[in-house]
Amino acid sequence: MSDAPTTSDGLRVFKPKPSLPPPPATTGVIGWMRFNLFDGIGSSITTVIGLLLLGFLAISFYEWAFVRGVWEAASRQECRLSPTEFGTCWAGVEFWFTRFIYGRYPDAEIWRLDLMAIVFIAWMAPLWAPKVTAKVMVGLSAILVFPFMAGYFFLGGDRNWFMAIMVAVSMTWFAGTMIHVAACLLTGKGLGHWIITLSGFSSRDDRTHKYPLLMAAVVAFGIVYFVIQSWQLPIVGTNHWGGLFLTLVISGIGIASALPAGIVLALGRRSEMPVIRVMCVTFIELFRSVPLITILFMATTMFPLFLPEGVVFNKLASAIVAVCLFSAAYMAETVRGGLQAIPKGQYEAAEAMGLGYWQSMGLIIMPQALKLMIPNIVGSFIGLFKDTTLVSIIGLFDLLGMISAISQDPQWIGLHHEPLFTAALIYFIGCLAMSKYSQHLERKLGAGDRR
Amino acid sequence: MAVVEKPGSGSDLSTIINDERYRAIFYQILVFGIVGWVFYSLVDNTLTNMANQGKAAGFDFLLGTAGFSIAWTPLDYKPDDSYLFVYWVGIVNTLLISGIAIVLTTILGFVVGILRLSKNWLISQMAAWYVEVLRNTPLLLQIIFWYLGAFANLPRPKQSIELLGIDWLVLNNRGLYFPNAEFGDLFWMTAIAFVIGIAGAIWLNRKATERQLATGVYEPTLVKTLGAIVGFPLVVFLVTGMPLSWELPVLKGFNYQGGTFILPAMCSVLVALVIYHSSFVAEMVRAGILSVSHGQTEAAYSLGIKPSWTMRLVIIPQAMRAIIPPMISLWMNVVKNSSLAIAIGFPDLVSVFMQTSLNQSGHAIEIVAMVMLFYMTVSLTISGCLNIYNKKIQLRER
Repeated sequence: MSDAPTTSDGLRVFKPKPSLPPPPATTGVIGWMRFNLFDGIGSSITTVIGLLLLGFLAISFYEWAFVRGVWEAASRQECRLSPTEFGTCWAGVEFWFTRFIYGRYPDAEIWRLDLMAIVFIAWMAPLWAPKVTAKVMVGLSAILVFPFMAGYFFLGGDRNWFMAIMVAVSMTWFAGTMIHVAACLLTGKGLGHWIITLSGFSSRDDRTHKYPLLMAAVVAFGIVYFVIQSWQLPIVGTNHWGGLFLTLVISGIGIASALPAGIVLALGRRSEMPVIRVMCVTFIELFRSVPLITILFMATTMFPLFLPEGVVFNKLASAIVAVCLFSAAYMAETVRGGLQAIPKGQYEAAEAMGLGYWQSMGLIIMPQALKLMIPNIVGSFIGLFKDTTLVSIIGLFDLLGMISAISQDPQWIGLHHEPLFTAALIYFIGCLAMSKYSQHLERKLGAGDRR
Repeated sequence: MAVVEKPGSGSDLSTIINDERYRAIFYQILVFGIVGWVFYSLVDNTLTNMANQGKAAGFDFLLGTAGFSIAWTPLDYKPDDSYLFVYWVGIVNTLLISGIAIVLTTILGFVVGILRLSKNWLISQMAAWYVEVLRNTPLLLQIIFWYLGAFANLPRPKQSIELLGIDWLVLNNRGLYFPNAEFGDLFWMTAIAFVIGIAGAIWLNRKATERQLATGVYEPTLVKTLGAIVGFPLVVFLVTGMPLSWELPVLKGFNYQGGTFILPAMCSVLVALVIYHSSFVAEMVRAGILSVSHGQTEAAYSLGIKPSWTMRLVIIPQAMRAIIPPMISLWMNVVKNSSLAIAIGFPDLVSVFMQTSLNQSGHAIEIVAMVMLFYMTVSLTISGCLNIYNKKIQLRER
């Protein structure tokens, strides 16, 4: 102790020895493994069993998919006789892959589907760009206006007066949205601002600003309408639709119609007017308590009876109506759950502010409720995306329907496992992406509630 | 609306228009009128269409001969039975398959949910991926996968797979064969003994709890409970001379004779239903256990309650409150989803009644209504039970 440092007046100073490093077995990879994998005998045994199981699964999968995988063959027979016996016939999946995605859509017309996919992505993508203004307008138009253009591109053929107008509106709107987005990204000001500025209305009264906007819209619409007047696409009947494309069409329409219908039904169910409440409850309970397949059968067998003579409803349309009815009922319950979670004080506060029913719903209740509902809404979207497979039972060729179609193709007869695996992978990736995104959104929106 | 009008100061019409009650009545009449008109036109169209096709509505066809055979049913069905009996066969098949699936899926789901919460990283990750993969692929695809991938490729009866190495539990392309129980004359006494045993066990446990509340002395009741539920019926069973025999399936010629069997399609539907829904149960169990705040565990420990009791007496009862309501609606989903069995030809209600019978008899409206009625009855019964349960736990809360 004699060598301990002292101050000038002879007092010893406390100087701790440097602290020892933590025991090697508690830090780093080894420490982590000891704590999480080999924490006691029981834990070690389960880890070993788990590893063995995992290894077995990985090796069998590797052997099935890669060791025995045959990537080039003209028929299933060739796969089977390939160097490795009972080869896994990826060649068939490769050969049919376009069919899995587009169904029996003519090869020469597939660009139409690709184009619409690109248009839709371009229309929705600005919603994630922070600089873009008027996002509500962009998003709503993507859901309400886009379907007319897409519908025409998918189906082709003659346009009646209504479709002619709507397709032109849709195209004009898309062009306007794209210019608006470009203007926002480049100059920070939207299309509306530039039209007003360039037309010289910016110095006038605010109330006159709508005139140049309206004028521009009408002129643009007129130009588009006359340019595309004689333009026509060859007709592709719905019997050619199929694959992932059809799955997305059915679930897309189901999802887009479910939310508004669900909100209306949920509000109706909570309404104080007995007639409306009873009707909404009956509808919701009826469609929620029966399986989707019975609704689909009902649609295919009973809709033809319901319709007046001469009106023919094809199978796809019946299936879409059935899916919409079904998803609306489920969405209504999701929305109701969200509405119930809003404290009564919020309703009372809205009433105290003098807001009417629709104002208090639209400005106070719904924005809060929708935020709470996001996980469940995405959950029902995922459910609907998966449930769309049921249309293959009533004879539509969605992704799963195409999977069974390949096994009846003479060349690839009996090919089941590889296409099924491919389809499972497609569904899995789609659903997982949706659920992970919803979790991300939930965290982002819930940031205000966290302490 | 800054100025509040006194009653009678405005014109009568504006009072009526602005009065909420009258407006409500007006809206209701409007909606009712629209819905009523839609219904009327649907019914009208239907009647015209049916008249044009020369069909008559009515349930008379139910007593007619069905004339087709059903691949599997526990009932004694013959092709010359009526459509009404086909309906009953479908209901029994649906309830049977969903009943078995519900029991198994709940057990498997609990196991996976607990593994998901394991402190062992590898195990919890594996359970998490099990849940993710199964939840995110369509059930129909899974049913088809199990059927085409496993149960459709089974060997012929001569090369049957003996499960667990037992020759009376075999799997082949005709189905899964297992022994059939044959009850003797006095078996009813064992059954009664079993019921008495359960009642006795409940009584014993109640008394033990009462004594513990009164005196604080804890007395283990496991042995007595087991004795009452298992031992007593067993004694009765032995005393009455073991009135139970097993009829074993035996390979005779090209197929197994005796015993009971279930179709490969039924095996695939069962496996797919159980595995698919178990992933949902696992998530519910995990969420339920995590919903009990950690303070509860700490409070229990600070009272000196040991960990295993803490789990059983503090955590699980509170977690159950969060687990059971979604679990019951999941059971309802199992019943509804069992209808997907139609895709691989298992004769459930939708398959035998809504497809075969409908195509054959053409009575679409009656048959669709009857099938929907069955599913609605089941679901209303289940949700009725759920409401009773919810009321019960609400009372306990405060």
